[in-house]
Amino acid sequence: MKRTSEFSVGLVIVIAVVALVVAGLWLGQVGPRGPKTLQVALFRTVGGVKVGDPVVLRGVKVGRVEAIRLAKDDWVETDLRMTSPDELPPNPIAIAASASLFGEWQVAVMDSSRVPNDPELARALVEARHNASGRMPGATLPDVGQLTAQASRIASDIAVVTNRVSSAFDSQSIVDIRSSVRDLRKMADRLVNFTQAQTTALDSVVNNASTSSTSIVSASKHLQATLERVDSSTASGELSALVKDARAATADIRSASSDFKSLASSANSQRDNLTHILTATDVVLTRLEKGQGTLGMMSRDSTLYLEMTKTVVQLRSLLADVQANPRRYFRFSVF
Amino acid sequence: MKSAREIVSFIGGAALRAWRSLRDVGTWSPLLVGQMRRLGVDSIPIALFIAVFTGIVLALLSSYIFTGTVPNYFVGALVGKTIMLELGPVLTGMALAGRVGANIAAEIGTMKVTEQVDALETLAYDPGSYLVVPRVLAATVMFPVVTALAIGVGVLTGWFTAINLLDLTTLEFVKGLRMFYQFKDLWFGLIKAASFGLVVALTGCLRGLATQNGAEGVGRETTRAVVIGCEAILALDAFWALVLL
Repeated sequence: MKRTSEFSVGLVIVIAVVALVVAGLWLGQVGPRGPKTLQVALFRTVGGVKVGDPVVLRGVKVGRVEAIRLAKDDWVETDLRMTSPDELPPNPIAIAASASLFGEWQVAVMDSSRVPNDPELARALVEARHNASGRMPGATLPDVGQLTAQASRIASDIAVVTNRVSSAFDSQSIVDIRSSVRDLRKMADRLVNFTQAQTTALDSVVNNASTSSTSIVSASKHLQATLERVDSSTASGELSALVKDARAATADIRSASSDFKSLASSANSQRDNLTHILTATDVVLTRLEKGQGTLGMMSRDSTLYLEMTKTVVQLRSLLADVQANPRRYFRFSVF
Repeated sequence: MKSAREIVSFIGGAALRAWRSLRDVGTWSPLLVGQMRRLGVDSIPIALFIAVFTGIVLALLSSYIFTGTVPNYFVGALVGKTIMLELGPVLTGMALAGRVGANIAAEIGTMKVTEQVDALETLAYDPGSYLVVPRVLAATVMFPVVTALAIGVGVLTGWFTAINLLDLTTLEFVKGLRMFYQFKDLWFGLIKAASFGLVVALTGCLRGLATQNGAEGVGRETTRAVVIGCEAILALDAFWALVLL
């Protein structure tokens, strides 16, 4: 009985221990798979990465996160236990990122030349590389929660804009738009009528153009005949005579032009004199019109004229009186 | 003040008696294997029975919950995590609390009311060494073993259910099972199971030794042992979750 008990208890314990060890190794995917290396990556923050999360190289799982600890100057050191150390790129970097939408994270090891095109990520990597000192520079991509929050903010903004657009398109706006549409329709009708009218005119223009084209064809025929005649004239030497005559005519025109130039020069001087005279006359007339000077005053004031008339009348009566009574005015004596 | 002193004195006396009993290896060691078989090996069928149906129900429930955007392989993750961390240790512990706790309390209680415990003392046997230590040690050792087997069977039946009753492949189930697995998941459940075994066996022994008034007292203390054992399991479960997770 005792031996049976010992065997059954031992068997159960052995089965349980073996099952535990096998299950632990199988689930954790650990075991002797060739050489391993320990890489230390430096992050500003590791996001949601936890101990045990996978480390992937070109999408293939090559290890797991072995330890995470705080480091000096607000850094975080992460131990990455990796197989296939020979496959590591020459300038490795570590990118911590969400592995799926459900909170799983992973650390992707890649060459620094293959960094995703993200300015914030590049800045974090530069900062980590500056402080790495032998460790692998690392950066963290935003997790799904952050992206969702950003999308939520964008959705809120869109909702605000939509509400504003909705309030802008109230009933009055719709009435205005309908009115505008009616006006547009009327305008379109007018445009149609106008186009029809213009079409008739255009037809006429096209006809005229056709006629003109016919005339041009006729003219071109005449021109062709003329050119043929010129061509024939060139052939009989008449053209050289024409050139000579043209040359002589050109000389005459030059001489006449010279005479005309001297005549124009004389005319210019006469014009200047005339301008001067007209300017002086204008000044005199202006002063006369303004009543300046004797003539001006005379022209604008009739008193002098009237006084002169009276004076003349008085002189005539005086002269008559002198003729009638000379002794009153002249006295002759010898002694 | 006096009561506090009494409490401290009681704790000190209990610790000393426990230490004396533990040092008496010659008394309890021959009994240990037999108790391990009775409390552990003989409890495997009930533990596995519970684990089988737990795995089936968990797989079905998780497939019912994970609809729409949640991928199917999360069935594996939920089954594995839930059985390893919580349902495996707690359900096994509760079942063993009923079976083992009642067994111990009834056995020792009967011995107490029939004065067999007094006879042991007359024969210069320490009841602690002879009755308590082998049972407590056996339960503490065997509860994790039984729980480990229950966890394995629960996960296997969850996988079997997933590939046969649900639209899931083995690869998907294993992917989900491995996705969130940590080594801590295993030892966390086993540590809990060991603590459950310790408390259940200790409660059964103490209630059995406290039995009075014949058969009625045996029944009363047996019931108390089961109830206190179950309550202690739930309290310890919360405690370990606070301390270890």
